[in-house]
Amino acid sequence: MAGFLQQVVQGLGAGAIYASLALALVLIYQFTGIVNFAQGELAMFSTYVAWQCMAAGLPFWVALPLTLVVSFAGGMLIERVIIRPVEGAPELTIVIVTVGLFIFVNAAAGWIWTFLIKDFPNPFPGGALELGGVSLSFSTLGVLGVVALVMGLLYLLFQHTKIGLGMRAVAANPASARLVGIRVGWTLALGWGLAATVGAVSGVLVAPLLFLEPNMMAGVLIYAFAAATLGGFDSPLGAVVGGLVVGVAETLAGAYVGFIGSDLKVGVPLVIILGVLLLRPQGLFGRAAVERA
Amino acid sequence: MSELVVDDLVAGYGDARVLHGVRFTVKQGEVCAILGPNGAGKTTLLRALSGMVRTRGTVTLGGTELSGRSPDTIARLGVAHVPEGRGTFMPLTVEDNLRLGAFVRRGRAEVDSDLDRIYTYFPVLKTRLKQAAGSLSGGEQQMLAIGRALMLRPRLLLLDEPSLGLAPLVTRELFRIVQAINAEEQTTVVVVEQNAHLALGIAQQAHVLETGRIVLSGTAEEIRADEQVAQSYLGYRV
Ligand SMILES: Nc1ncnc2c1ncn2[C@@H]1O[C@H](COP(=O)(O)OP(=O)(O)OP(=O)(O)O)[C@@H](O)[C@H]1O
Ligand SMILES: [Mg+2]
Repeated sequence: MAGFLQQVVQGLGAGAIYASLALALVLIYQFTGIVNFAQGELAMFSTYVAWQCMAAGLPFWVALPLTLVVSFAGGMLIERVIIRPVEGAPELTIVIVTVGLFIFVNAAAGWIWTFLIKDFPNPFPGGALELGGVSLSFSTLGVLGVVALVMGLLYLLFQHTKIGLGMRAVAANPASARLVGIRVGWTLALGWGLAATVGAVSGVLVAPLLFLEPNMMAGVLIYAFAAATLGGFDSPLGAVVGGLVVGVAETLAGAYVGFIGSDLKVGVPLVIILGVLLLRPQGLFGRAAVERA
Repeated sequence: MSELVVDDLVAGYGDARVLHGVRFTVKQGEVCAILGPNGAGKTTLLRALSGMVRTRGTVTLGGTELSGRSPDTIARLGVAHVPEGRGTFMPLTVEDNLRLGAFVRRGRAEVDSDLDRIYTYFPVLKTRLKQAAGSLSGGEQQMLAIGRALMLRPRLLLLDEPSLGLAPLVTRELFRIVQAINAEEQTTVVVVEQNAHLALGIAQQAHVLETGRIVLSGTAEEIRADEQVAQSYLGYRV
């Protein structure tokens, strides 16, 4: 039993990371209907920014807020410069633009920082909390705590601020939002900025567990897609729940389903994506695309 | 003063022109009805006034130029547009929808007291505050849309077929409220309406729009007395 719980805890830790990137995906999808395939690469790039700050001698807790600010500005800039011109274009065009962004950011990171792996410090202390035979590492607890914090802050922003109300209005009905005086273009840019910031958090959480290198987020992105699909692409809460479920499912499948092991684990998110799309396309928390006219 | 002056207004979608030089004036505090058959360009006219479509020509409100500005700027200048289809923020609560109407205003206390004012016009909304707006009935959504527009404290209110899809009783009630609003707040109103009876009942001036041109203008009485209009829009002969 303790062994099983241990696997669950480990799964939650991994899941929290998927959740954070899924959250970034959902933030953009909600506002724009765009699935940003470059989200993982932007997170990776942000992580390099943090690494660069630390390489320049800044302590982690200074480098982090700096990175978040840079990421926010970068996200907004990308929306204004790259996404804005294709706003309203057919879906395929936008998909190709974000895939292009993926390749570009990946190559840029390789060009600036090389493809050699780099060590990234773990901001959380080593060691673990022992609880009834289950060991909760501070690292896992830290990751869970950070994701809970991000979720809480987003909730406050959306539900209890005027900017948040404006953002929800734009997500619900952009034409109508314009008519009540909301500057929709800037709101979309704000959404991209927020998503890039949340993505940066997930990159900084992933880097200490893997190594920092330009392809670091590729795997995570697939899990994040599974998480967002499972939770519903238009539901931030769904993204988090979806992330945790995917993390646990993947870990348990790897540990207990003989033929999966650690090699086939990456098949788990694909199975989840397929299953959800077949059975409940809007995801667990998503709204089905039917509304009263 | 917020007199609306529309001069030589041309508008359309892409290359397709819909309005061909529309010209009319609405005096401060008056209600102006726009009548016309389907596809005449009535909705496009309102969209042109609120900046939703590209235009040529001039539109001024109390001397301030509206033409060439974006919808959000025009809203900030005091124009509230209740669009065709009502423009409800479906997943948001009724209260959020109303507060969004006042998005560009400052002063929380004032906005709160305006909410209460809306509830006196539309008591049913007060009983639905925390409900998703998408779950309201058509009539309730139309009330919500008008309430949302009023939250701006508009100088100019644009209404696009408020009666669409509503029961006759609800429609009459709605027009009564629009008339009360116009009387109490001195809001200038442009209303597009299929139900010419009701529209002419609350309007001082009216214009008939056909294929993008105003073909007939006059006071509400004159338009009502016009034989052609009577046949086409009122369903009886004078
Ligand atoms: N979004 C659009 N894109 C292209 N053409 C449009 C668009 N909306 C309306 N039109 C065209 O513009 C013309 C006028 O349409 P509009 O909606 O203004 O008419 P209307 O008088 O409001 O009609 P109704 O009484 O049916 O609401 C029509 O020929 C219509 O096909
Ligand atoms: Mg119309």
